[in-house]
Amino acid sequence: MTQNKIGSVMVVGGGIAGMQSALDLADAGYYVYLVEKGPSIGGVMAQLDKTFPTNDCAM
Amino acid sequence: MNIEIITLAEIQDISGEAGNFSVDVLKHPRYIDEDKCIACGVCAEKCPKKITDTYNAGLSKRKAAYVEYPQAVPLKYVIDQDNCIYLQKGKCGVCKKKCPVDAVDFDQKPENRTVNVGSVILAPGFEPFSPESFENYQYAKHPNVITSLEFERLLSASGPTQGHVTRPSDNEEPKKIAWFQCVGSRDMNRCDNAYCSSVCCMYAIKEAVIAKEHAGDDLDCAIFFMDMRTHGKDFERFYDNAREKSGVRFIRSRVHTVTPVPGSDDLELRFVTEDGTLKTEVFDMIVLSVGMQTPKALVDLSKKLGISLSAGNFADTETFSPVATSRPGIFVSGAFQGPKDIPQAVVDSSAASAAAAELLADVRNTCTKEKEIVPEVNVLGDRPKIGVLICQCGTNIAGVVDVPKVVDYAATLPYVELATDKLFACSQDAQDNMVELIKEKGLNRIVIAACTPKTHEPLFQDTLTAAGLNKYLFEMTNIRNQDSWVHKNNPEMATEKAKDLVRMAVSKVALQEPLKEVQLPVNQTAMVVGGGIAGMAAAKSLSEQGYETHLVEKGNCLGGQARQLFMTAKGESIQKKLAEMITAVEADKRIHLHLDTELSHVDGFVGNFETTLSSNGNETTLEHGVAVLATGASPHKTSEYGYGTDERIITSLDLDKKLMDDDPSLTTLNGAVFIQCVGSREPERMYCSRICCTHSIENAIQLKEKNPDMNVYILYRDIRTYGEKELLYKKARQLGVIFIRYSLENKPVVKADKDQLTVHVMDHILNMPLELNVDMVTLATAIIPNTDEKLSNFFKVATNADGFFIEKHAKLGPSEFSTDGVYLCGLAHYPKPIDESIAQAKAAVARAVTLLAKQTIFSSGTVAMVDPMLCAACGVCVSICPYSAPKFTEEGRFEGKAEVNPALCKGCGLCVASCRSGAIHLKGFDTDQILTQIFEMDEAV
Amino acid sequence: MATKEPKIISFLCNWCSYGAADLAGVSRMEYPANIRVIRIPCTGRMSVKFVLAALRQGADAVWVSG
Repeated sequence: MTQNKIGSVMVVGGGIAGMQSALDLADAGYYVYLVEKGPSIGGVMAQLDKTFPTNDCAM
Repeated sequence: MNIEIITLAEIQDISGEAGNFSVDVLKHPRYIDEDKCIACGVCAEKCPKKITDTYNAGLSKRKAAYVEYPQAVPLKYVIDQDNCIYLQKGKCGVCKKKCPVDAVDFDQKPENRTVNVGSVILAPGFEPFSPESFENYQYAKHPNVITSLEFERLLSASGPTQGHVTRPSDNEEPKKIAWFQCVGSRDMNRCDNAYCSSVCCMYAIKEAVIAKEHAGDDLDCAIFFMDMRTHGKDFERFYDNAREKSGVRFIRSRVHTVTPVPGSDDLELRFVTEDGTLKTEVFDMIVLSVGMQTPKALVDLSKKLGISLSAGNFADTETFSPVATSRPGIFVSGAFQGPKDIPQAVVDSSAASAAAAELLADVRNTCTKEKEIVPEVNVLGDRPKIGVLICQCGTNIAGVVDVPKVVDYAATLPYVELATDKLFACSQDAQDNMVELIKEKGLNRIVIAACTPKTHEPLFQDTLTAAGLNKYLFEMTNIRNQDSWVHKNNPEMATEKAKDLVRMAVSKVALQEPLKEVQLPVNQTAMVVGGGIAGMAAAKSLSEQGYETHLVEKGNCLGGQARQLFMTAKGESIQKKLAEMITAVEADKRIHLHLDTELSHVDGFVGNFETTLSSNGNETTLEHGVAVLATGASPHKTSEYGYGTDERIITSLDLDKKLMDDDPSLTTLNGAVFIQCVGSREPERMYCSRICCTHSIENAIQLKEKNPDMNVYILYRDIRTYGEKELLYKKARQLGVIFIRYSLENKPVVKADKDQLTVHVMDHILNMPLELNVDMVTLATAIIPNTDEKLSNFFKVATNADGFFIEKHAKLGPSEFSTDGVYLCGLAHYPKPIDESIAQAKAAVARAVTLLAKQTIFSSGTVAMVDPMLCAACGVCVSICPYSAPKFTEEGRFEGKAEVNPALCKGCGLCVASCRSGAIHLKGFDTDQILTQIFEMDEAV
Repeated sequence: MATKEPKIISFLCNWCSYGAADLAGVSRMEYPANIRVIRIPCTGRMSVKFVLAALRQGADAVWVSG
C-alpha cells in the first residue's frame, strides 16, 4: 500500500448509487469527483414514475 | 461544495494503487458554457432539429439543444453533437444567436483530464435489455408491444402522455394489458442472461397496479410469469394486495408467441397453462418486463481496468467483502455489483463509501474545502432597513413582468431603503454587488424577488453571510416559476401579482429576527448493539475509520446466527470466515467488547447519548454519539410437518450442522425432501424470508454431490433465487434435483413410520398426488426478528407489523432510523444473506460517520421555541411531535413546562399549530409573520 | 375588474406542493393570476387562525396543500 494517500475519491456514475456514495463521502470529509457520462445526473431512477413497494414518486 | 460533478465524461484508464490512483477522464463538450447558462430554454425553443427523446424512452421528440428533464442536475442545456445541424453541417447556429447570455460555444473541444484520487467507486449502472431480437414477441414490428421502461414513461405525469395511459398505435386507452416477465433474464436460449434481474416482478406489479389506478376497474392487467419474486421488505404484501385488492391477474406461463390480430391493432397471445392446456387470449397492449444487463462498453472497460467479472458480467465480489472489486482500492455499488432494486443499491453505495473511507481514514479532511467565516454584525433591535432586489432573469421575468414598475413600487413600501433590479440576481457579479450594497447602505433585511427559494435560497443566504448579515434576515419571493412563467399571456396581472408578492415579502422580512443555530458537540464514540455478523462488521468499519466503538452483545459469544451456517451462495466456508472476523474484532484495540450485556437505560439524543449497560447485575454508563442497532433475528420455531416428533424431520440449520460435521449418515440417504416457506408467506407472517430458497438449493446440491443417486426433492411455492443465485437453481436442476410446486391451500403432508418418511404433495403439472418416500425432511423455516420493545422505546424507533425495525425511508434511508443518530443493519431490518448484512452494516456506519465527522452539529435556525410563561404544560406538543423534540423541563424555574430541543426540531410547526396556549413560536414562520402576509394580501385580492 | 374572479389564498408546504407549483412554472403551464401563495414549512404549521384571517381579509377560497 502506498504511503502517499490522497483524501479524495472518484465516483463513476451519477445514478442513485453514485449520488449516494458521493454524498456520504463528501459528508465524511473526502473530496469527491462525480463522473457522469450523460449531461445530467439522476440515472434510470429519474425516468421511473413511481417506486415499489411504497409507490413514492421516483423524482 | 466538496462534490465536483463532471458530466459528459468517461473513464479512460486507472493507474496507480489503492490510496493513490490517477484516473484519465475524457470530458466531451457540452457546447454550452455551464457557468453562463441560466436554463431559460431559449436554445431548445429555437432549435429547428427534432430528434427522438431518449429520456422518454423514445416515445416523444426533443430538440438537438436540450435538457434531459426539467429537474435535471446540473440544470444546464446541452447540444447533442450528433444531431446539431451546425456541428454536423456548419450552418444554422440559431441557438447561439438567440441565447441571452451568450452561453453557446461551438468551439468547445473534448478535454482529457487526469485526476488523482485515493480510491474509486464504480457505480456505472446497467442498461435495460433490448428485446429487439425476440421476434416472437413482435417488439420491433408492432407499436403496441413496448418495454417496461417505455411503460414507465407512459405512466409518468411528466411523460409524453402526462400520465394518461394510451397505446402507441392509435392513442386509444387500452382495456387489456399483458406483462411478460423475464425478458432478457433467466434465459440462455434467446439471450445470454442466465441470472434473474431481481426487480422485474415487483416493477411489473407496480406498473399494473398504477395503470389500474389511472384507468379504473375496467382495465384488465395480466402478468405472465415463471416464479413470482417478491422477496424484499413489504413486497409480499404488495403482491398480495395487487392480486386480492387491485385485481391484477397472475398467470404462471411463459408466453410462446404473439401474433397481430388482422384488421386491428390488438395482439393475440398463445401460451400453455401449468396443466398443459394451450390457450389464446387477445390483448390491446403488451409490456415486456426487460431485465438489467451490463453494457458491452463497461465489460470492455472492466477488462482494461483489471476488474474481474462474474458469469453474468457483474463485478466479482466476495460474500464477506461485498463491495470490493478484484482490484484493491476500487469499490463497486449499484447494479454493476449485481442486479438489484433501489434500496439495495443505496445500501451498497453507502457501503462502498464506508469501504473507501476505511482505506483513506488517515487522510480524511486533507482535500476538502471549508467555508470562510465572516463575523456577523449584530442588528438586533435596529430599525429594519430593507433592500429589495428584483431579478429580470434575462427575459424570463422581465419579458412578462414590468420589472421597473415593480422596483418603483417596492421603493415606496415601509422600511425599504433600497430597491433595484438585476439582469441575473444569481450571477457572481450581482452577488458581489449585493455584498457591497448591504455594507454601503447598512441594509439589515433583504428581499429577493426572483425564481424559487427551493433552489436559490441557500445561494442568496450565503451572500448575506458573506456580507456579515445573519442569513435568516432574508425572504425570497417567487416571481418566475409562480408568476411570469405561468401568467405569460397576462403581463398586467403578472406585474400586479409581482408587486403583491414583493409587498408580502417585505412585510414578512420586517418582522424577521436574526436567528441562532445552536451548536452541539458530537461525542466521537459509537455503540453497536448486537454481536452477530452485521454488528461485528459495523464495529470493525467504525474502528477502521478511527472511532472508539463499544460492541454490546447479550449472549456470551460473538457470531450470532452465522455460527450455525455452513456455506455461502458463492461456496465460501462461513465458519472459516466467521472465525477470522471474530479474531479481528477481538484483537481490535478500538473495539470494546461487552458480552453478556444488555441495555437498561438510554438518555440523551443525537450526538450525545448516555446509555446504561447492565451485565450480571453490574451497571456502567456509556456516553456515545451514535448507535447502530444490529439485533438480528432467529429461526421460526415450527411444529408443522411433524417437526419435533421425529429426528428425521429437521430444519435447514440442523442440516447445516450435519454438513459442518460431515455427518456420514448424509451419504447413505436414499431420498431427501426440502419443504420451503415453513412459516413464511402465510397470512400471519406475510413476508418472504428471502434466503431460504437459495439455502435449500445449496444444501440440495451438497447432498447430490455427496451421493448423486440420492433422490432430492424441493417442494416450493415460488423459487426466489434472485440475481446470480439463479445459477445455483440451474445447477441444482442439472444435477437432477426435482422441484415440485405446491400451493398454500394444498400444503404437503409428512407421515413418519419406522422405516421411512412419506411426503404427500399435489403435483401441479401432472395434476395428480405424489407420494415421496424419503429418509430426511428439511424444513426451510421463516426468519423472525428478535423484537425488543425496551430497545425500541429507548431509542424511539418503531417496528413494523412483522417485528422488523422501520427504517427512515424504504428507499433513500434504508440503514438509518427516523431518530437522528441511530442506525440499523442486518436481519433486524429484514431477512438477508451475509453479503447484504455486511453491506448494510457498512452502510449504517457510512451514514453514522457523516454525523461523527461533523464533530459539532448545528440546529436549524427555523425551529420551535416555547414561551414557558405561557405554557400550560398540557403535553400536546410532547405527544404530537414526530421527532420527540419537545419534552417537559425537569428542573429549575420552569419545571414541568415544555421545552423544545433545537437539535431534534425539524421546524415543521406541528406543535405551534397544536399549542392551545399560543406558547410556541416557530422562528422564521411565526404566527405574526404569516398573518402579516395574509393582511398584506388585502390590496391584492 | 370586469368579471368576478374568485380570490384564492393558498398555503403550500415547502417540501411538496410549493415544489409542485414551481414545476408547473418549469413546465410552462398557465393558470389564472388571482391566487397568492404563502409558503409554510409543513402543513403541520397550518392553523385555523390563518384560514379565518384569510377569509376575513376577503378571500373567496383558502387552499391548503401539502
